[in-house]
Amino acid sequence: MLPAVVVQALVTALVLAVVTPLTGFGATVEANLRPLTVYTAVTPMSRADFDEGLSALLDANPALERRVQAKALWMRTPMVVGESFTMLVALRADEHADFLRRVGNRLVEGVLPAPGTDGAAIHADVARARRMKVGDAFGRLVDLEDATPGRFTVTGIVDGPSRVGLVDFDYAAMPTFVLSRIESFQVVYAKPGRKAESDAYLNAAKDEAGRPALRVWDEAFWRKRTEKMLENLPTILNAVVGSISVIVALVVVLLALIAFQARSDEFALLLAVGITRRRLAAKVLLEHLLCAGAALLLGLGLGYGFLAWWDVAVLRPKAILIDFFAPYPLALAATLPLVAAAASAAILTLRLRRMDPVAILQRRNA
Amino acid sequence: MSADVVLAARGLTLVYGEGPRRVRAVDGLELEVRRGEFVGLVGPSGSGKSSLLFLLAGLRRPTAGHVELLSRRLDDAPDRNAEARRRHVGFVFQEPFLVPYLSVRENALVAALDADAGPRVEALAARVGVTPLLDERPHRLSGGERQRAGLLRALVNAPDLVLADEPTAFLDHPTGHAVMDVLRAEVGRAALVVVTHDPEMLAGADRVLHLRDGALEAAPGPSTTC
Repeated sequence: MLPAVVVQALVTALVLAVVTPLTGFGATVEANLRPLTVYTAVTPMSRADFDEGLSALLDANPALERRVQAKALWMRTPMVVGESFTMLVALRADEHADFLRRVGNRLVEGVLPAPGTDGAAIHADVARARRMKVGDAFGRLVDLEDATPGRFTVTGIVDGPSRVGLVDFDYAAMPTFVLSRIESFQVVYAKPGRKAESDAYLNAAKDEAGRPALRVWDEAFWRKRTEKMLENLPTILNAVVGSISVIVALVVVLLALIAFQARSDEFALLLAVGITRRRLAAKVLLEHLLCAGAALLLGLGLGYGFLAWWDVAVLRPKAILIDFFAPYPLALAATLPLVAAAASAAILTLRLRRMDPVAILQRRNA
Repeated sequence: MSADVVLAARGLTLVYGEGPRRVRAVDGLELEVRRGEFVGLVGPSGSGKSSLLFLLAGLRRPTAGHVELLSRRLDDAPDRNAEARRRHVGFVFQEPFLVPYLSVRENALVAALDADAGPRVEALAARVGVTPLLDERPHRLSGGERQRAGLLRALVNAPDLVLADEPTAFLDHPTGHAVMDVLRAEVGRAALVVVTHDPEMLAGADRVLHLRDGALEAAPGPSTTC
């Protein structure tokens, strides 16, 4: 039984170690979405900019605390597969400290961008992933492959639960960025506890012609968009883990049959002394369930041990966040030993039903 | 049928194989064994001794006839006799068949009827002479010790019928006699049927039956025919 336990444990650990980081897109997305639990970004739906009419519409929001003019740039961050983009919010310098406080971040190194300069305070995860430090430059003018237009110099590192960075609004309003179609938007801060009401108002706001007036980049919009982007991932993972489960179940059944053959004398003896086949089958089932339990515990231990090391040594330095105890990978990993146990118990029960104890005992006596 | 008849075979027949390979291992056998009786069963190799013993234990389905254990007819389907076998029959095999990962004590307890058979195993172990070995695993035992451990398991439920298939075949003479002494001691309250090639081991038998080609050569009677 030990080889079967080891095989199941190793594959359980493997599934856990592979699937958990793949579902870690979710954890990274959560970090990117976190700022939108504090504010909502809005852009004009059909107009070039916020004119008086749109501004009045925004100010009529009964749940509005205040609104701030902003621009958005994106900073490339590597992922397990492909890249994610972390927002660099361009705000006027006097808004920086308040913004950081609201999203739960703080400056941990350097200084915030000074007015009219190319300074950028980037998030520590992004700095780690892109191996950047204070004084480094980035942007398309530094590296043609970079997704961020223009040129920025890292002046500070911010850290906290919201993966977002800050640049200066006036610098981002320069012609270089206008040509790069960097959209203007309004950061809308709702009154405490009234963000949902505020978002509902913004989504329902209509212009004079009765058409939607605002494009609302709220948490719900981004979450839906991200989920759509990742909607096929579980299908692929299910197929891969399902195939692995079948292969492992076959291996475990084979090992169980070998173990059964080695124990045929024992089973024949137990049948001969009056143990019923039903009781023996229950014993076999119990043994397999115990083995599956042991394999699961061992596999989870190995899997989480490996993940802990991988997280510290590889993933975190690349700004890839993983949800350690996500239920989906855990369920997939747990399915494997249970499927193997059920398959081998079923096969062995059939073998047990057909077993002739007398033939075995007589063969041994011969 | 007398009330003290523990085991009866009525027209017991076992045929296996087909065509030219068809063998009548047991052929219309009639037999009664009473409580307190020690019956020896001898015969040349292939005469059907072991097959008969497995039939008597309800472990094989007879082709014809039937077996009665304590006046109750055994089912033709061996699996349905499991409870009766466990409760009333102790089977001693030529090769003791001990579960390798269990101790001698645990091997005895696998067949025990009740959960509190521990003290009974201790007492029986003293009689069988395996008290110091109770916590040993089978691989540490000699052939004689293994056979005694097998005896312990066969007798743990104080069976009404003890069936022994060549219990001394792999043992030296002194050890074989010691094993037979334990079995004979059971005769007081049980019936004992022993298959053996060694006539010496049947000293004290009430009857010795000769089996040839599946049939008894002489009608079973009270006299020893050995």
